[in-house]
Amino acid sequence: MSVRERFTIGAGAGFAGDRIEPAVRMAESGEVHAIALECLAERTLVNALRVREANADAGFDPRLARRLRPILPHAARGVAIVTNLGAANPAAAGRAIAHLARDLDLSKLRIAAIVGDDVMHLVDEVEWTESVADGQWIGAHAYLGLEPMVQALAEGADVVVTGRVADSSLVAAAPVQALGLTDGALASALTIGHLLECSGQISGGNLTEPGVADLDAQSYSRLGYPVAEIGADGSATIRLLADDPGRLNVVSCTLQLLYEVHDPQRYITPDAILDFTGVRFEEVATNRVAVSGARSSERPERLKVIGFLARRGIIADIEIGYAGTGALARARLAADILRLRLMRELGLSDFLVDLVGVDSVLGDRSLPLHAEPPELRVHVSARCQDGEMAQAVEDEIYSLTISGPAGGGSVRSERRGHVESITGFLPRERCAARIEWTQTS
Amino acid sequence: MRIGDIAAGRAGDKGDTLDLTIVAYDDDGYQALSRTLTSERVAHVLEPVAPSSVQRYDIPGLRALKFVAPRALPGGVHASLRAGLHWQKAAIWLLLDLDIDA
Repeated sequence: MSVRERFTIGAGAGFAGDRIEPAVRMAESGEVHAIALECLAERTLVNALRVREANADAGFDPRLARRLRPILPHAARGVAIVTNLGAANPAAAGRAIAHLARDLDLSKLRIAAIVGDDVMHLVDEVEWTESVADGQWIGAHAYLGLEPMVQALAEGADVVVTGRVADSSLVAAAPVQALGLTDGALASALTIGHLLECSGQISGGNLTEPGVADLDAQSYSRLGYPVAEIGADGSATIRLLADDPGRLNVVSCTLQLLYEVHDPQRYITPDAILDFTGVRFEEVATNRVAVSGARSSERPERLKVIGFLARRGIIADIEIGYAGTGALARARLAADILRLRLMRELGLSDFLVDLVGVDSVLGDRSLPLHAEPPELRVHVSARCQDGEMAQAVEDEIYSLTISGPAGGGSVRSERRGHVESITGFLPRERCAARIEWTQTS
Repeated sequence: MRIGDIAAGRAGDKGDTLDLTIVAYDDDGYQALSRTLTSERVAHVLEPVAPSSVQRYDIPGLRALKFVAPRALPGGVHASLRAGLHWQKAAIWLLLDLDIDA
């Protein structure tokens, strides 16, 4: 492979349910060398693990075919795809991608599945940060770093599919491999990885700025996702594709740099501890920002592990709507009735009753009500010991429709099991990754 | 002065921890925020909805303040009793709607 001076990586997805077409536009643009698809939140793995338990050939993201079908032909023509669509079963994902490639008549596509993040067999060795005594293990996964992805790309992978890897490493893998980045340039690439991992959240999504009108619906509906040009010296620019709408500026980059970061001087990734305090952004043109100043210290000796424990209990989360004259008074009355009955008849104490449209999101800190809303919903969430109690709570809401204030309706009900995500650490050498290759003939 | 008129912000979460980022639009705004928006004040604002101690990190080069509340989301976002999932995404308005002259 020839040595490149600059490499362009696109972030085509930032969570499991992210939009499909931004990656397609990137692939078709001819402007990117590789596309990273980040599709695995902490909790996305829980569903995948349950699916894998029932079927050893499943447990990868169920959107895999829909997401990859339109861009796989571009992978065959040299646009590498690096993605964690493998979820709980990257090896099966690799086989599924090969199957898809054959359907599309793509020959000689090399697919590398990165296996080894599943550390369920090591749960007793993991140093957990809180008690894991009470509950049933669903799974445990280590956040792998760059190495296996870089190796797979160096050995000619067109598609790299992983399970749990650090998001910043997933995005950085292709440029790091293509440019042979180390030290300061590596810190820059990992920082770019962190900036890009949430796709549209750096380019106008989840952004409101004082004195600046929000993007309009047309722009939001076609929001451009970011691409980054990285140089062999680590210099980097983040931009949108030509004609893509969005807002990529110093503020959007700063918000994303610090998003879900705790100590900005020590952002721990498997490949380096990053220091963001010296990072500088410069808007060099509209929707084009130069990034500099990322630093790093040592590579951590231990890898972070995320463990999922099923604990006892169910949350019942239910709403009932009221509308028309006096809706607010009737809703408040319904809320009071529910409080009385959940305590007196069901013996519950761990529940919340509030009004959707008034105080259900920010609770007591919501802004004061200045006018009576024309319609609103009473919401109740209750922690229940089992499904029978959750059903009893739901029944209480329905009983309001005939034994409560007039006109209650539009009931909505859901239940959530109690799965806790617990953080732990394992020595790096205990998490050996390996590559499983599949190639279409 | 409402913080949201001089700064932008975003909330995030990891496990039990809520994190709030505020980015000022100019140096004066940053000075005002860094003087008045103490970690104690943010902890007081969180108290009725997401009680936790709060650690503040200053990133003057980016005109940013970072507030990290390690016990604000007990059991993580899926264990919350609020309606639906991920109320914490809206938590940044607890700061954006705050008046820093008061």
